Parts: sequence; structure tokens; C-alpha cells
Amino acid sequence: MASAAKAASELARLLFRASFDQGALSPALVGGVLEYVEKHHAGQATRVLQAYARLVAAEEARHRAVVEHAGALPEATANRLAESLGRQYGRKVTVVTQPNPQLIAGLRVRIGDDIYESSVTGQLAELSAGV
Amino acid sequence: MSTVLEQIEQQIAKLSHKAVKKNTGVIRAVADGVAHIDGLSDVMYNEMVQFPGGAIGIALNLEQDEVGCVVLGDVSQLKEGDEVSTTGRLLSVPVGEALLGRAVDALGRPVDGKGPIDAKETYPVEKIAPGIVARKSVSQPLLTGIMAIDSMIPIGRGQRELIIGDRGTGKTTIAIDTIINQAKINKVGLASGDPKFRPVYSIYVAVGQKNSNIVRTMSALEAAGALEYTIVVAAPAADNPANQYLAPYSGAAMGEWFMENGKDALIVYDDLSKHAVAYRQISLILKRPSGREAFPGDVFYLHSRLLERAARLDGKGSLTALPIIETLAGDVAAYIPTNVISITDGQIFLETDLFNQGIRPAVSVGLSVSRVGSAAQIKATKQVGGKLKGELAQFRELAAFAQFGSDLDARTKAQLDRGSRIVELFKQPAFNPIPIEQQVVTLWALQKGYYDPFELRRVMPAAASLREYFATRKDALLTKIRTKAALDAEIEGELKTAVDEWKGSFAG
Repeated sequence: MASAAKAASELARLLFRASFDQGALSPALVGGVLEYVEKHHAGQATRVLQAYARLVAAEEARHRAVVEHAGALPEATANRLAESLGRQYGRKVTVVTQPNPQLIAGLRVRIGDDIYESSVTGQLAELSAGV
Repeated sequence: MSTVLEQIEQQIAKLSHKAVKKNTGVIRAVADGVAHIDGLSDVMYNEMVQFPGGAIGIALNLEQDEVGCVVLGDVSQLKEGDEVSTTGRLLSVPVGEALLGRAVDALGRPVDGKGPIDAKETYPVEKIAPGIVARKSVSQPLLTGIMAIDSMIPIGRGQRELIIGDRGTGKTTIAIDTIINQAKINKVGLASGDPKFRPVYSIYVAVGQKNSNIVRTMSALEAAGALEYTIVVAAPAADNPANQYLAPYSGAAMGEWFMENGKDALIVYDDLSKHAVAYRQISLILKRPSGREAFPGDVFYLHSRLLERAARLDGKGSLTALPIIETLAGDVAAYIPTNVISITDGQIFLETDLFNQGIRPAVSVGLSVSRVGSAAQIKATKQVGGKLKGELAQFRELAAFAQFGSDLDARTKAQLDRGSRIVELFKQPAFNPIPIEQQVVTLWALQKGYYDPFELRRVMPAAASLREYFATRKDALLTKIRTKAALDAEIEGELKTAVDEWKGSFAG
């Protein structure tokens, strides 16, 4: 059981590495991977594709910055943010904005595993943890 | 302005408008105190991670697409999908003199109901042991108060001496006696006002023990007035394996504070067999490859890195370690015992047979050894007890041989008689350490044959009476022996007069 899961995860990683074209995930290659799994690994398909989906989602998240904001976020600011994050991470970053009134004021940016917190809610949480 | 408001103001001032960066992950699975986490791409090995609800964990397995963390806290509140974040800090525990007299858990949090601990500093739980240059050889004694040990298997400050034996052979008692003796010496030394006196503070780490046993140990320490010089780190059997795994390292960090600050400390790990079992449990849940007896491959390193932290530092203090190992049916050749024997600077082996024969402490002189302690033994003990180990070993050999024959020559009979007297003399009740000057007097009387006229069963009462006589009437002589730490012609003359006086008064 454990070794089957390990083999599925190994295969998913292999397929994930094969899904890149010029340093970026290629929709065509991803489509090819899906076909390949269905055809050659039907018995393991669910397990392999779940692991593959996790890797693809993590890769997409690395290139997509989700910006949660309490007030209005001008487009110029969003663009500046995308540019600055792209420079910092050394890769192309697209910005997706999401209004979140629970932040009270400020921003919360999530890119890959990283979160940049500069909202009032975040600061209040830190304050309550510190006191 | 009230202090509470000031505190809040300070906290607000600390919160800058700069964005705070956190590296996060998501729990994929939680089982048996271990969480498998997706993400946490920036996490460092052994870094503390923050779980929701205030629980913390340590990242122990950094794999390609997941991180394995042990959870130090309530696992029942955690669920799949919960967010976890890195803290950028290694696990640290409070250290310092504020912890003396307190019982804490593996994270240094008080568990004795005596309120918060006002510790000013913290030390990382995992620390690289001092290197070669920083160390100094062991040359100062650490007196256990147990005659059989101080005279034949002496321990020095900065040494690692293993206490090994089956269950119920008095391993913990030896450790507790040693802690009590340090407290007694500390009281006398601090009261004397001697600027050269260096007190020894103790740390008792209880791993995987019953809570009732920990309470009993603490009561014994308190009754003997030793708790005020002792820190108890408790990771009882009911605690999760992660805490049991961490407790010895936390205790070592607390001991290191004393060592780094020019003080001497003693640490007892009670016991490392249960520690290894807790680590095996964690390792198996983390799916690390298992080896002999299902222990992971790094079980040697688990104990070597811990025990190497005990040292005597040049220009600073020392940390002496007394690890305890429980054997099964006296098998010292098992995996964990051989590992720890090879790491330590000697071992005190306790035998079930001796214990059952009423020889307590049940120290097996033949199998016990102290590799570096003789350099730390005081001259007076060497003078009166230097030959005891050889005599006792000879006695054991002769006693085994004499079982088969009845006709023994006079010399053999005399050797057997003397051996039995030494064995009798070394019997000592629990929690009753004997000051070193009293030990010297007792052994000097043995050396000079003062116990020879008594029947064997009267040797122990005679020695107790001699010590009592000296404690009540010859305090000045005892102080002289303690301060000079050697027997010269003058002291020997005084000793002879005093022991002769005692002999006249003792009914036999």
C-alpha cells in the first residue's frame, strides 16, 4: 500500500517534470500527460493524477499572487505589486485581486507558500498573541 | 499610565507597517502526534512551526513534497486542511537559576502549580556539543555520597557515567542520592563562605516514567532539602512521544546555561531506554527506515549528541551527566545499552542478584568502571580506598571458588573474611549519602582493621556508630579532613586517637 503510493507519487513527479516547455507549464503537454495516464496507468490513475494535480497547483500558485484587499485596490498598484514580486522571485507573476472586508484595512498577498501580511486584522492577531 | 497600557503601547510600536512574511503549508494528514504537511517550502530542519490553536511542532522530516512535523501539544484540535506557518526559530527553552526548585515540562513550562517562571534567557534545545579546544580534562570530583562509588568508581565534574541495571535494582536511587549529596555539599560550602567553593546544581530529567514515580522522587528531594538546587524536567509516560524525545535535550540546555556561566551542574537522564523507545515511535510514524530492533539508523547519534554536551569547559563550568539505562535480564550487550556504554566515560552496573541478597547499592564492582574519574578522586579517598576494588574483585573470585571446597588455608580464609567485611561496610540505605570526610574515616578504620573483632552482622552498625561519634564529637577533625582532602601524619595521629576512643565506647 505504502509502496504503491510512493510509486504513484514518483510517477506524478516524473510526469510533472515532463510537462514543462521553455520553463513554463504547457497546457498541451499537460493534456498529453492526462492521456498517457488514462491509457497506460488506468489502475493507478486516481492516485497518480491526485499527486500530479497537487504539483501543478503548487506550480501555478508560485506564479500567481492572490492579493486580498479591504478597500479599493487601484490597477496601478496591482501592476506595481506584480512587477515587484516578479523581481523578487525572479519569475513572471500574475496578480489576482480578491476583496476581503474582514481585513479591515491593508493587504494580504499569498504567492506559493509565502504570505505577506500587512492588514489590520493580521496586526491585531499579532498584537493579541503578543500581549 | 498603567503597566498594561504601556505594554500594549510598546507592542503597537513594535508592529511596523512593513508587511510580515510567513511561509505556510497545509496539513495533509495528522496521526499519532505527527503531522504531514504540504508546502512549508522554506522550513528549516528542526525549526518550530506554528499550528492553529497555539500548538507548536518541530519539522523533523524534510521531504521532496511534504514536511513531517512532530506536534508538541494537543493534536486532537488539528485537522486536514489547517494552515501551518514557519516561525524562523529553533525550539528554545527558558534557562537560568529561576528554574531551580521547579518542575517543568519538555518545553520549560511549569507543571508544579507554583506559578510562572521568571526566566530571563532562553537556550536552543538542540545545540552542537563543545569542541576539542573548549574542553578541559576532568579533574574535580563530583561526590555521590555513596561509599562504594566514591571510593571505587569515582566520578569527576564533566564526566558521563552511565547507571545501568535491570528494573528495580536501585538505579534512580543512586541518581537521587547523588543529587541529595550535591545539595548537602552546597549548603555546607555556601555557609562556609569559601570564595573558591563551587556549588553543583542538579537537573533531573524524567522520561516516560509514571507520574506517581516523579512525585515520589520530588518528595524525596524536597524532604532532603535538595529541591531548591534542582530542576525537574518531566515528560511522563502519559506525555506524547515528541515531548519524551525532547525532554533530555531541554534538560541539557538548562544544564548548559550553568556550564556556560562558570557554574557546575549535574544532569540525570532517567532513563534513556525509554527515550530511545519514544524516538523509535516517532521515527516509525514518520516512516523513517528502521534497523535493528526497529530503531532508526540514527539512534546512536540520538544519544551521542546528547551526552557529548556534558563537558568541563576551559575557563567556564562543567556539566556532568548520569544517564540511566534499564536492561532486560541483565543483558548489557543489547542494542541501546552497548551504544550508551560506548559513548559514556564508564558505567555503574547494578546486579539483581546482589540487590536480592540485600547488598544495596547493588553495585557490581567487576563490571563497573570509571574511565576518567580517578583523576578527580581526592587524595584522602585514594589513600584509604585505593586497593579496595582489587581486594573486592579478588574476594568475589575466591568466594566463587570457595563454594566448591571446605578446606581453605588460613590466608584464603582471611581474604574471604576481609572481603565480606568490605561488602558489609559498603551497604548503605537509600537517600542517605555519606559526606566524603565520613567516608574517609569509615574506610580508614577498615584499613587499620578496627572492624575485624566484630561479627560480620555488626560491621554496618559499628561503621554507623563510628560516623555518628565523629559527627557529634569530632567535627573539627572532620572539617580538617574535608579541607585538606588528604591524610598526613598529623591527621592520621588524630584519627587513631579518636577511633580508639570510639572503640572504647562502642559495645561491639
